Amino acid sequence: MRISTNTIYQSGISKISTLQAEQSKLQQQISTGRRIALPSDDPVASAQALEISHAQVVNLSFADSRQSAQIKLNTLESSLTNITNLLVSTQSALVGAGNGAYSDLDRSFIATELAGSLESLINLANTQDASGSFIYAGFKTDTKPFITNASGASYAGDSNQQFIQVDAQRLMAANASGDNVFQAGGNDVFTTLSNLVTLLNTPITNAATQTAFNTGLATAIGNLQGSVDNVLNVRAAIGSKLNELDALDTAGSDRALQYSKSLSDLQDLDYASALSDLAKQQTIMEAAQKSFVQTTQLSLFQFI
Amino acid sequence: MASNILSIGSSALNAAQVGLSTTGHNIANASTPGYSRQVVVQSAAQAQNFGYGYIGQGTEIAAVTRVYSEILAKQAVNSQAVSAGIDIYSANLDSIENMLSDASAGLNPALNDFFASVQSLSANPNDTPTRQSMLSYAQSLVNRFHSASNRLNEVRDDVNTQLTSSVSLVNSYAKQIARLNDVIEKAINAAGNPPNDLMDQRDQLVMELSKQIKTTVVPQNQGSYNIFIGNGLPLVVGTVTNSLITTSSPTDAGRLEVAYQNKTKTTVLGGDSLPGGAIGGLLQFRSESLDIVQNQLGQIAVTLAETFNAQHVQGLDKNGNPGGSLFSIPDPAVSFSSYNTGNAVINSKIVDARAITSSDYRLQYDGTNYKITRLSDKTVQSFTSLPQTVDGLSFSQASGTMLAGDDFVVRPTQNAATSLGLLFNDASKLAVGGPVLSSSSNLANTGAATLGALTAGSTYASSPLAGAIGITYATGIPGTLTLAPSTQPVTVTSGGTTTTFPAGSPITYTSGATITVGGLSFAITGAPANGDQFTISPNTSNGSGDNRNGLLLAGLQSQGTLNNSKTSYSDALSQLVNNVGNKARELKVIGATEAKVLEQATAAIQSESGVNLDEEATNLLRYQQAYQAAGKMMQIASQLFDVLLQLGQ
Repeated sequence: MRISTNTIYQSGISKISTLQAEQSKLQQQISTGRRIALPSDDPVASAQALEISHAQVVNLSFADSRQSAQIKLNTLESSLTNITNLLVSTQSALVGAGNGAYSDLDRSFIATELAGSLESLINLANTQDASGSFIYAGFKTDTKPFITNASGASYAGDSNQQFIQVDAQRLMAANASGDNVFQAGGNDVFTTLSNLVTLLNTPITNAATQTAFNTGLATAIGNLQGSVDNVLNVRAAIGSKLNELDALDTAGSDRALQYSKSLSDLQDLDYASALSDLAKQQTIMEAAQKSFVQTTQLSLFQFI
Repeated sequence: MASNILSIGSSALNAAQVGLSTTGHNIANASTPGYSRQVVVQSAAQAQNFGYGYIGQGTEIAAVTRVYSEILAKQAVNSQAVSAGIDIYSANLDSIENMLSDASAGLNPALNDFFASVQSLSANPNDTPTRQSMLSYAQSLVNRFHSASNRLNEVRDDVNTQLTSSVSLVNSYAKQIARLNDVIEKAINAAGNPPNDLMDQRDQLVMELSKQIKTTVVPQNQGSYNIFIGNGLPLVVGTVTNSLITTSSPTDAGRLEVAYQNKTKTTVLGGDSLPGGAIGGLLQFRSESLDIVQNQLGQIAVTLAETFNAQHVQGLDKNGNPGGSLFSIPDPAVSFSSYNTGNAVINSKIVDARAITSSDYRLQYDGTNYKITRLSDKTVQSFTSLPQTVDGLSFSQASGTMLAGDDFVVRPTQNAATSLGLLFNDASKLAVGGPVLSSSSNLANTGAATLGALTAGSTYASSPLAGAIGITYATGIPGTLTLAPSTQPVTVTSGGTTTTFPAGSPITYTSGATITVGGLSFAITGAPANGDQFTISPNTSNGSGDNRNGLLLAGLQSQGTLNNSKTSYSDALSQLVNNVGNKARELKVIGATEAKVLEQATAAIQSESGVNLDEEATNLLRYQQAYQAAGKMMQIASQLFDVLLQLGQ
């Protein structure tokens, strides 16, 4: 085949510039550590990568939600611990109240202690979290849920549950409304305590008042035990939710790890092969340049 | 005799000189684009009969011709047009691909961030910074849509500019070719020999022309070229040229179309009639990639905004008011053809964002029927009257009179991403709360039944509850529920069976059945006691911990919303990016193949017509020696003559 001088130069240049383009691409891959810079580099892999990185972001946002839920539930848990302790110490204070040797004065001391407990309990029931929201108010987190009144406290919150999406398929209630914690099933702990204070402050003057006192005390102790049981139930439920969150977190971070690994498999550069490719390209490049120069140096005109 | 020898020598000398000149010309033009090497066609001169035989009379130059293959040139011209078309398509598509897939500036990250912020809002409905940050993410999502769409508009303007310059190049080449046709024809007629260099110039112009548009050459007997472009439109006929012009599309003033202009009229050419070359590549890029990408982007923007709004208005904001729309969405753009004779004004609205497609629509009136064509697949629906709804899009006539032949184009999505906006920036207006509340009279109820969560359907926001509805259970066989007040029918769905109870009548109680009234659904589960009460009421308080609508808003992310609720936002966006990536890939592969074909065609031409300097060096030596030999011969002739002269002394 006849080769024109133009072709000799043209093909030499076009080979070298192709090699340069390949080298620059390898160089870019090596410096970014990524095999795919644009979807067109590998449409199938980048489609998968987009899907996985979307799943990764969604997974991450559930992790954030779980953290919110965890903070809320931990706040509840520690507040409920305080409430349990208060109620248990109130119960032990009551143990002596039925003692027949106690005078009205002795009982009034207990009444005073109980009044203090009632006040503490109302304060605890109006616990606010770090951002100032009342944790026992249902949806009405801006409203102080328990207002002291003559018969204990009235509830100004509602009984709604705030759910948080803690996983793709799991909505978890992250609050406990005051009426469920303190007034469940008509057993109002504030009324119980308030009644006890009144009862203990009522002098025992005859057999009738003694009987009324005994009956009242027995009822109150029973009610108080019911309230303690209820608080413990709520705590247990929260504890199991916290456990579940831990399990979901573990599953979530496992998934995150899998996603990162898949992404890395899809997008990241195999450095060993890239560097060996680069070395190979350099050898070819040198050979191409050398042969180009040598070929073009050959000219009959040098001999004329 | 001697004079004969002298004249033979002189003819040889002359021939050698022509050979040297031609070789020199070849060497001088070795790198001239489009140059074909020239060769001397030499033949023996007519011999003279002397009775005893013919005696040669030396040599003569028949012609200096160029080495040129019409077939190879034709291949190169075709290949050039294809290759140039793909190159320009690919280059323009690359800029879109870069923009869409950018890890930090792309749309996917902005969409993901936005929904992460909605999710976080649903977990912390009362937290002002969280609310504010959700609004900021909404704003940055809107901004990202703007910048993507603006970039596409810039690309669109670039296409216009490139078309204009390509068209002017085509016209300029056409004029030059026509002029050369004239000169070449005259030269051939006058001297009988082809003017090689002018012909090379003309072939080079044809090659350049084919970079801009598909070109077909039909050589004429007199030496001139007739040039046809596209699918056979005559551009140059002899010395006469027709021209291309760019003109605004009759239905879109900002869109330049290529039109063909001959003496009598101007015809707008569709992309189909102009394949190949830069012009073909640009038109193809615009209709097959740019329009589609921009419309799909708009479709995602519209559906995202509309579905988010639809859920948002279901909620209750921090001030206890029903939610308003968060995103402002532009109405579909309607343009009428500049050829319309009637003065009708057409309105179009998005009726169902989940049903809209990324296509544009054409509305045509033929005097009786309104024909609505979905332009993406040319599906036609015919109606006898307006308004009509097609693919979630309403078409109505706002004013004026429609006349036969009137033509409108409705673009629901093309500029939607550019015009998307936010309607408020007051974070307290984010409607995170639910619109209705349910309560059981916990303290008074003696049974064990509970009223579950209330769900508001899509119709609830348009006709919300006026006041609370009390629900009372009465024992009996079966037990019943009575709603008070009861102004709307109630449907009860249990185990796949739906029963409708008219307004006011008691409902048969089934534990766990879904009860629906006025767009609200709920279930009562368990065993109620006689007289137990439940209440559902409109939520008018600012229940600051209420996050029910927030959860539903966040849930939109994973739902199928686009294309009749089949595709999620992020899937649609990924598909968009991947489609562009696939097309770019395809073009790169085809482009590389076509470049190879062109390279081979060029190499074949070069192999035939290109100058090889070593060959010319050989020729130089050959003609130099021929010249020397001829000179020597003339010297000998002179010496012979001297011998004759000496005879007389």
